[in-house]
Amino acid sequence: MSVLDLRHVSKSFAATAALKDMTLTIEPGEIHAIVGENGAGKSTLIKIMTGVHQPDQGQIFVSGAPVTIRSTQEAQSHGIAAIYQEPMVFPDLDVAENIFISNRAQGAFMNWKQIYAQASDLISQLGVTLDVHRAASGLTLAEQQTVEIARALSLNVKVLIMDEPTASLSAHEVARLLSIARALKAKGVAVIYISHRLDEIFQIADRVTVIRDGQHISTKPIDQVTPDGMVKDMVGRAIDTFAVKSAANPHGDSVLRLEGLGRAGVFSGITFDLSAGEVLCFAGLVGARRTDVALALFGISPSTEGRILIDGQAVTITSPQQAMGHKIAYVSEDRRKMGLALSLPIFANISLASLGKLLGAFGLIDRKAEAAMAEGYRKQLAIKSPHVGVEVGKLSGGNQQKVMLAKWLETKPRILIFDEPTRGVDVGAKAEVHNIIRTLAQEGVAVLVISSDLPEVMALADRVLVMREGRQAGILDISEATQEKVIRLAAGSARGQVAA
Amino acid sequence: MTRLHPQTLRIIALFVALLATVLFFSTQIDNYLSPRMFTRITTSAAVILPIAVGQAIVVMTRNIDLSIGSTVGVVAYLTGEFLGGHPDLHPLAVALLAMGIGGLMGAINGVLVAWGRVPSIIVTLGTLALYRSFLVQYSDAKTITTASLPQWLVDLPQANAFSLFGLDVRVTVVLALLSALAMGLALTRLRAARRIYAVGSNPDAAVMAGINAGMVVFVAFVLSGAFAGLSGLIFLAKFGNITVVAGMGFELKSVAAVVVGGVSILGGSGSMIGVVIGCVLVDTIDNSLTRWELVSEFWRDALLGMLIMAAVTVDTVMSRSLGRLGGKGGA
Amino acid sequence: MKTFGLALTMAASLMGTTLMADVVTATPGQAVNIVLLPKFLGILPFDQADRGAQEAAKELGNTGTYQYIGPTPENSAAGQIEMLTTATTQKQGVVMLSNNAGDQIAPTAEAAQAAGTKVVTWDSPIPSGKGESVFVAQVDFGSIGTVMADMVYSEAGGAGEFAVLSASPDAANQNAWIEAMKVVLAADAKYKDLKLVDVVYGNDQSEESYNRALGLVDKYPDLKVIMAPTTVGIVAAAKAMQDEKLCDKVKVSGLGLPAEMVSYTMNGCAPEFALWSFVDLGYLTYYTSYLLATGAIKGEIGEEFAAGRMGNFKIDEDPGRAGAKRVLMGPFTVYNKDNVEAASK
Repeated sequence: MSVLDLRHVSKSFAATAALKDMTLTIEPGEIHAIVGENGAGKSTLIKIMTGVHQPDQGQIFVSGAPVTIRSTQEAQSHGIAAIYQEPMVFPDLDVAENIFISNRAQGAFMNWKQIYAQASDLISQLGVTLDVHRAASGLTLAEQQTVEIARALSLNVKVLIMDEPTASLSAHEVARLLSIARALKAKGVAVIYISHRLDEIFQIADRVTVIRDGQHISTKPIDQVTPDGMVKDMVGRAIDTFAVKSAANPHGDSVLRLEGLGRAGVFSGITFDLSAGEVLCFAGLVGARRTDVALALFGISPSTEGRILIDGQAVTITSPQQAMGHKIAYVSEDRRKMGLALSLPIFANISLASLGKLLGAFGLIDRKAEAAMAEGYRKQLAIKSPHVGVEVGKLSGGNQQKVMLAKWLETKPRILIFDEPTRGVDVGAKAEVHNIIRTLAQEGVAVLVISSDLPEVMALADRVLVMREGRQAGILDISEATQEKVIRLAAGSARGQVAA
Repeated sequence: MTRLHPQTLRIIALFVALLATVLFFSTQIDNYLSPRMFTRITTSAAVILPIAVGQAIVVMTRNIDLSIGSTVGVVAYLTGEFLGGHPDLHPLAVALLAMGIGGLMGAINGVLVAWGRVPSIIVTLGTLALYRSFLVQYSDAKTITTASLPQWLVDLPQANAFSLFGLDVRVTVVLALLSALAMGLALTRLRAARRIYAVGSNPDAAVMAGINAGMVVFVAFVLSGAFAGLSGLIFLAKFGNITVVAGMGFELKSVAAVVVGGVSILGGSGSMIGVVIGCVLVDTIDNSLTRWELVSEFWRDALLGMLIMAAVTVDTVMSRSLGRLGGKGGA
Repeated sequence: MKTFGLALTMAASLMGTTLMADVVTATPGQAVNIVLLPKFLGILPFDQADRGAQEAAKELGNTGTYQYIGPTPENSAAGQIEMLTTATTQKQGVVMLSNNAGDQIAPTAEAAQAAGTKVVTWDSPIPSGKGESVFVAQVDFGSIGTVMADMVYSEAGGAGEFAVLSASPDAANQNAWIEAMKVVLAADAKYKDLKLVDVVYGNDQSEESYNRALGLVDKYPDLKVIMAPTTVGIVAAAKAMQDEKLCDKVKVSGLGLPAEMVSYTMNGCAPEFALWSFVDLGYLTYYTSYLLATGAIKGEIGEEFAAGRMGNFKIDEDPGRAGAKRVLMGPFTVYNKDNVEAASK
């Protein structure tokens, strides 16, 4: 008997139908992948299963019995739990308490001894080691996910939904998460696995369901699916997964040169040349301090050793203002924290970094010019939004990324740094972002891309700089680079085989 | 566990600061290390401690209660007035009455914050004025005086619970410490009370984990009000003379004690032992400065303010460097 | 004789009223809208002033409106400024103000005057005198200094240490009284054995005043008297001495309300204290305001007027504030165990 059954479920928000007649069956002990583009209805589907939303039509069955799920608490009582890309842990509490905080079966009083013992037991059942006394604030994202999974396990979960669990994980951590998923499967737990990373799905899933535009397209055992067929089902047409690289640009003069750049205690010894029209990718494991190099270049956490040369002239960069003065732009990884004002409309976000150019009479912002400029980018970058007055917070991840890109393009940068440009962005939008990056390079912009997505690195880069633990592990020309070589450099030769 | 928990470290640091303060003033003020000084500081801290306990609970849930000064005033006045007409009421019933009135006032804040979704700083800034206005209207400019209070209540501030090494521990001090102890035990032992930390630590995660976050916040405000009620009763007993200005400014004193005591203003962490030491430390500094010849009266408030800012700065710097050691390295 | 008198009258009218003032009497039954604005609402002295003002309003048969409004205690200074502005836009005739906002309120008061709303202060003036028509002073600040010095003298038995527990470092009236007391102490050899050791501030809060009083006792073991010229401070200090069983050693004196002080006066913790009548102060302020608003007096120095049951008063220069004008009420009552019980009813 199936453990979770959705039959003819529909859900609309205002006039928009998010799910249409969705039918989905989950068997105990299976890993069931659900794929689809952003906006295909995956998050609505999860929210219906976890009780955040209630369906307008259709029925849900748990182990054959019809149920209504009105809250996450009710979902938990039916044995349904979810973990997300951003783990939901309590940073001030320790690991054990994070696991048992909402466990009603534990009684009114805290039996700390028992809590620590049971927590250790749950963690070891997942096949990982983690000190249950540690505060969650010091845990890595992967460890926080482990805590969430253990929490679900403590509640006798029957169905665990993993929503983009690996989006922010390093290769090593991804491997560990996949093995945890297999451990759950072995215990008879059904895992619903949602990811943009097709390679993971082929590694782990038993069955794959593709949804598009809120509708069920197909459910097939994994051995009857090919990557191309899956992508075709997702987007409704065949596309190239990755942009075909144009013929390499004739490299111009060196625009940017770093000589032994470092920041005390963070990274050191970064040396490279970057020419106009070139794309240099930074590869490495999470924690290799790649973002810190970008932050130093952009003046947010300035370098303390080495030199930065622009057009052969040594420069000091200690603030983003100075960096922008040298025509450097930084499209950050964390769109919410550093990049976008989510409550402001698209045009205000795009003009934010270049308001000086938009001043009209009396030094006031020329609203007309601002709107026209933003409209230009909306068309050029195909930002999916009816007009540029829409709040950025209402856009999908990929379109937010485009708004942020537009903001920096408007500063007419000569050196453009992208930090994880396609994290959390779906397959279709990813290809568009890649095209934009290549086009910019062709127009003569010097581009730095930090990416943890190896296929992306291989598709975009002219050269690959690999970092390991704050140091430069090597630079490979794309002609000699392979994924294996990059991983070996990133992980250190000893661990290279494991990570690959 | 050989590693010291950051919270434990903080308590030790606080305790050292308290010790250093006492030692410093003992070299500056004659006859400082005396039983009398002990009584002065403990009885003065006993008025603030219950509201600091309540404030701490609210702050732990990532909220703030600015209305407790007004709550103390209203409770002191209403309880005093009621006792004028019912002098034979049992002391326990009086305590329950005071805490009940306070709890009710806290409940109003709680409903508005937890389910009205209004930020607590706005709600309690409003009730700060509202409760005070109510008192102004209600009191009709009449003062509660000791003459109308039962003798046991007037004697309460002088009543000794027990003596330890020649130091007198007053009943009000025991009452205040009991409130901190009860809350401290609950916060470490009671599953329901642990949810206070959870909600303050990550409200979204609390909802996802199936915790009724609204209820937790509501209860925190009710408790804050009830503890303010207890403080109001001690205030009534100690000062006897209750006018509409009673308890004014207590909200800031309680926030100071809580913050110095190591409760994160961002919620989710803190301990009752820290609140007790923070409360005593702030009160010790305040009471010592008034007895210190070198400092003019005009500098007292400024110095106290600087010390509080220093405490918070040290705290922020400490937790930031701890965070760095913890290693949340970026890509 | 007759011509002489006529000439004098003419001279007087030509030169204004400075030479030989007539006593102006109010014409009842005119319409003046008057607002009484205390420091804040909810404490007894201000309600007493309100009672006095109402009594005067009835006597004068004012057909205009009378309002007693004020801010809540925690919002005193800002609230006063706001309410004065509102009264101005409402075109009130007079605002009777017990100022708690220092000179911050001066621009608002000047704006009120410019718009035709008179500002008459009482109890506590605007320090600079700007924007103020006239200040109705409860007592002469100099004579308050004398009374404070005398009370300390008698409580201390003529010699010894004493300290002052005041309201706040920026309370204009208290500061003026303390200064006046210092002048008196220095001027008369009678007080040569009294030593003022400290001035502390309880910010008109019970617990702060209580703690400050105990601090004084600890800091000065030979302290004999705490002089608290604030009604909140004196009760808190008396309670502190009573709690610490120090009433035999340290006496409390100052300015207090009989109803709040009666038990401490009877048990010897605060054997004597002084206060004027806030009812009378409200009454006199109302008369002054009414006369000003109806044009019967101009608010010039030397003008003399009759204020109902309280008799005649004269506008003179405020000795404490250059260029400012005041009406001096005076005197005040010293309370002790013989009269405090009757007054506390």
